[in-house]
Amino acid sequence: MPDAPTLPRDPVIEAYKKDVDRTLIREMLKLTPEERILKLQDFVAFAVELQKAGRQLRK
Amino acid sequence: MNKTATDFKGLLRGLLEARVDFIVVGGVACNVHGSARATFDVDVVYARTADNIDRLVNALAPIQPYLRGAPPGLPFSFDAKTIRAGLNFTLMTSLGDMDLLGEITGGGTYEQLLPATVEVDLFGFPCRCVTLEKLIHLKRSSGRTKDLEVLAELEAIAEERRR
Repeated sequence: MPDAPTLPRDPVIEAYKKDVDRTLIREMLKLTPEERILKLQDFVAFAVELQKAGRQLRK
Repeated sequence: MNKTATDFKGLLRGLLEARVDFIVVGGVACNVHGSARATFDVDVVYARTADNIDRLVNALAPIQPYLRGAPPGLPFSFDAKTIRAGLNFTLMTSLGDMDLLGEITGGGTYEQLLPATVEVDLFGFPCRCVTLEKLIHLKRSSGRTKDLEVLAELEAIAEERRR
């Protein structure tokens, strides 16, 4: 994918940027777009399972 | 319809196999570009030509699209007539949630957004996805506070790519 050109900096976004975990981004950038979507799918499936377990605990 | 984990592959592959003209936007587009944030639905901008609406309806009808958050039993029929009469649809399906967008703020229609897309290989098909630069522009245009963290991550991705 082509690199994104630089956009004008927004000081508010810059303030938020310091909290971004770039190690996660670097790991994601090692994957293909398809692998990224499959990773997302795995995570969402895991999150739904956690939600189900939480609901069962509250019963 | 029971709430299940979104089948991103199934939803996208269904559209791709049916040769629907669409552009991936939103959280999945962020993910395609390298975002580590989770999203729970698929947002696409679709072309509103008659042929494409027919392909869209045929592709999605088997997964029973219904208006998300609406009470059950409404006289909602997912057909070409409904799609032509509306524009943006927030749907739930048997494969998960999907937003069908005829137009988006800051991006316009499918045809207007097309120059700001890249083609990526997904599940054996070429798939149009909004560019990272345009995604940042769209998120900035939305002006939503909740998008500030997303924007920070997207801009960090752009920086990482330039490294």
